[in-house]
Amino acid sequence: MTTIFGIPAALLFGQLLLGLINGAFYATLSLGLAVIFGMMNIANFAHGALYMMGAVGAWFLLDAFGVGYWTSLFLCPLLVGIVGILLERLILRRVSHLDHLYGMLLTFGLALIIQGLFRFAFGSSGLPYAIPEALSGGTNLGFMFLPHYRGWVILVALVICFATWYAIEKTRLGAYLRAATENPALVQAFGINVPAMIMFTYGAGAALAAFAGVLAAPILQVSPTMGADLLIVIFAVVVIGGLGSIKGAIVAGFSAGILEGLTKAFYPEASTTVVFVLMALVLLIWPAGLFGSKTQSASTSVVLPALANETSLMRWALFAAMALSLAVAPVFVYPAFLMKAMTYALFACAFNLMAGYGRLVSFGHAMFIGTAGYVTAYVIKGWGFPPELAILAGTASASLLGLVAGWLSTRSSGVYFAMISLALAQMIYFVALQAPFTGGEDGIQSVPRGVLFGLFDLSDPAVLYVFVLLVFLGGFLFIAALVRSPFGQILKAIREHEPRARSLGFSTEHYKLAVFVISATLSGLAGSMKVLVTQIASLTDVHWLMSGEVILMTFLGGVGTLYGPVVGAFVVVAMQNYLAALGAWVSVIHGAIFVVCILAFRRGIVGELISYVSARQARSVAAGTRADAPDVVARRLKAGA
Amino acid sequence: MGDVLRVRALEAWYGESKVLHGMGFRLAEGEVVTLLGRNGAGKTTTLKSIMGLMERRAGSILYRGEELIAARSVGIARRGIAYCPEERGIFASLSVQENLELPPRVAPSGMATHEILELFPNLRERLGSFGTRLSGGEQQMLALARILRTGARLLLLDEPTEGLAPIIIKQIRNTISRLKALGFTILLVEQNVAFARALADRNYIVETGLIVDEIAAGEFERRLGSIQGYLGI
Repeated sequence: MTTIFGIPAALLFGQLLLGLINGAFYATLSLGLAVIFGMMNIANFAHGALYMMGAVGAWFLLDAFGVGYWTSLFLCPLLVGIVGILLERLILRRVSHLDHLYGMLLTFGLALIIQGLFRFAFGSSGLPYAIPEALSGGTNLGFMFLPHYRGWVILVALVICFATWYAIEKTRLGAYLRAATENPALVQAFGINVPAMIMFTYGAGAALAAFAGVLAAPILQVSPTMGADLLIVIFAVVVIGGLGSIKGAIVAGFSAGILEGLTKAFYPEASTTVVFVLMALVLLIWPAGLFGSKTQSASTSVVLPALANETSLMRWALFAAMALSLAVAPVFVYPAFLMKAMTYALFACAFNLMAGYGRLVSFGHAMFIGTAGYVTAYVIKGWGFPPELAILAGTASASLLGLVAGWLSTRSSGVYFAMISLALAQMIYFVALQAPFTGGEDGIQSVPRGVLFGLFDLSDPAVLYVFVLLVFLGGFLFIAALVRSPFGQILKAIREHEPRARSLGFSTEHYKLAVFVISATLSGLAGSMKVLVTQIASLTDVHWLMSGEVILMTFLGGVGTLYGPVVGAFVVVAMQNYLAALGAWVSVIHGAIFVVCILAFRRGIVGELISYVSARQARSVAAGTRADAPDVVARRLKAGA
Repeated sequence: MGDVLRVRALEAWYGESKVLHGMGFRLAEGEVVTLLGRNGAGKTTTLKSIMGLMERRAGSILYRGEELIAARSVGIARRGIAYCPEERGIFASLSVQENLELPPRVAPSGMATHEILELFPNLRERLGSFGTRLSGGEQQMLALARILRTGARLLLLDEPTEGLAPIIIKQIRNTISRLKALGFTILLVEQNVAFARALADRNYIVETGLIVDEIAAGEFERRLGSIQGYLGI
């Protein structure tokens, strides 16, 4: 038998073929993502769900109506394209004039809804789909056996990629698209209907994703969750290629697939992470990706909600009220719920420090809470560490990870930052899945709580409760002080206008990195506490859904407010406790809350409350000084705000 | 016969701050009219308001008797008004030819590409290069050239002389007089007094979002002192 570098040639070529097939899907999907990003400036989190709709749709059409592969290959993209057009027209367009972050969060919520609904309708196990008869069988190429269907997939993907590239770079319609990407207002002023173009672009991107889905149905596992995990790899591919670059998406897609195939042949353990490692390496050398040029603006028009005339007495009174109610709450509410909610609240506050005040909305914060949890659990169970040292170890591991991840990701911002953080977190997820010390699917279970400082026995529920409460309040106070400190002020300045802050002499990247590491550290602290409370460290803590949950908590409660994340965390944890029986519906409900929250009350519960109170204060100020000239009142209001 | 454009009590806002406070002026068929004024007076905002590019505007904009104040910019362009923005708005990712052919035809009377290239001969050899590889003068020529294809008969030009060398300004001046001879109606925003004087039938002085004076071509010489006062030269 021939071998190449000690690997049987047949195996090597087989893996190369598989890699090429995966690359074909990566390229087709990242292509659609790039086109949508170019027009709308959002990373389309619903792309994986649209791809899944194509595949599951093909299965359903066959199963229910006997519609075959070839018809589906045409029909599914058409139907999903219409769905895409409707989504854009009815939902995404409502936030198109706002910070693009909101559009991205909307697509995230939509993805959760679609995926949840499909899981409800079709279950989460794989659905079988046969290779069409005309393409069954294969040909022996001499050095390897080529199944016809796989050859077809590669061929079609290449054709699609070339056609899309040609349409965008060489045709008149493509010129419209490129011009609208640069300056939509001017294109509009030439009499070209840009909103309609955006709508059809999103529809075309959706159709492309569904086409890839139908293509995948006969050879990949068809299931409602097939899109979610693939999407994160696609994000990494897009980051490698350079955001918004068509050429980059194609080249990076196929290269990533081939690299993955080769890794499977030579060192299978690393095959799930290799694309993410490649992404990290590319980012080190070319921060904008291989073919990227489009820079992301880091400024925002979103104003942080703040009370008009907040006094330090009010602040302490609020804090005391929260501390007191949490202290007496165990009398009325199940303490385990409260402790879980407090650890999540700390996590959400840490996330908010970065997302709200630093405007670095990470989609990968689960990596910190998860990593700290695993380390804490492992050093307690494996090495017999006392709880205080275990917490220290867990928190320190999160800081360290934050330093590396922050160094890689904070050089970019906005959509790019979100995608990089998500991809890095997925890498940690795969490490946690495969590393020997994490217990794989089982996690690390029944972690003993131990005796704190040799004095306080944490297995006593009351002692544990007090400890969790104190850590939460301490973390909260630290964040509150940090936000008001000069450091916090500079963060807000960077958030509002990074180039301006830089021109004032602040090295903005150091500040961003610092807040990233602080946020990671506090998230780690929350992760360590969570292990003490729940006595388990598991994969759910490093999964991207956890990152989504913390975003949900923060935005639902009120991003950029101190108490918002706390309120959000309690609401979401309570929902999980009471809705757990609903199964797949939980994800639908989460998604729906996301969508409603972004569409109807973007400031979140606490944010809306603050602006309501501020408006009332303003009215009473205006009523009390009716004799004043209006401009005096206006000035007063401005000073107060 | 009626005016091509008649603007009355035009107001416009950027967010909370009001920039136009009741602009009013008119353009007759075939006229070249300038809006002269200092930076920040509201000249560009006036053009943007006419094109429907401001988020919030009020008042009245009559184009050949039709009210445009509530129209969207797509529809405004489709009625035959073409806009050449400040800083030229050349698309970097499009070639010169693509830039030239980007604005769709809105009326059958639009010039053919070869006619335009006769008017702007130096664009011919640059058709394949990318938009922003051009010099400032070439970019300005391109920005003018591309709106001639559309068939629009009312042209809104925002400071076509900005930042250009005197020899280029002269070329642009010749081009605009040829356009005038071809019967285009032109609303020109300018700070360059000599340029306005050479081209305009009438000049409006804009200050703090209002028209404060109107000076016909014949009065230009006599009122030069006050014009320079308005512009702070």
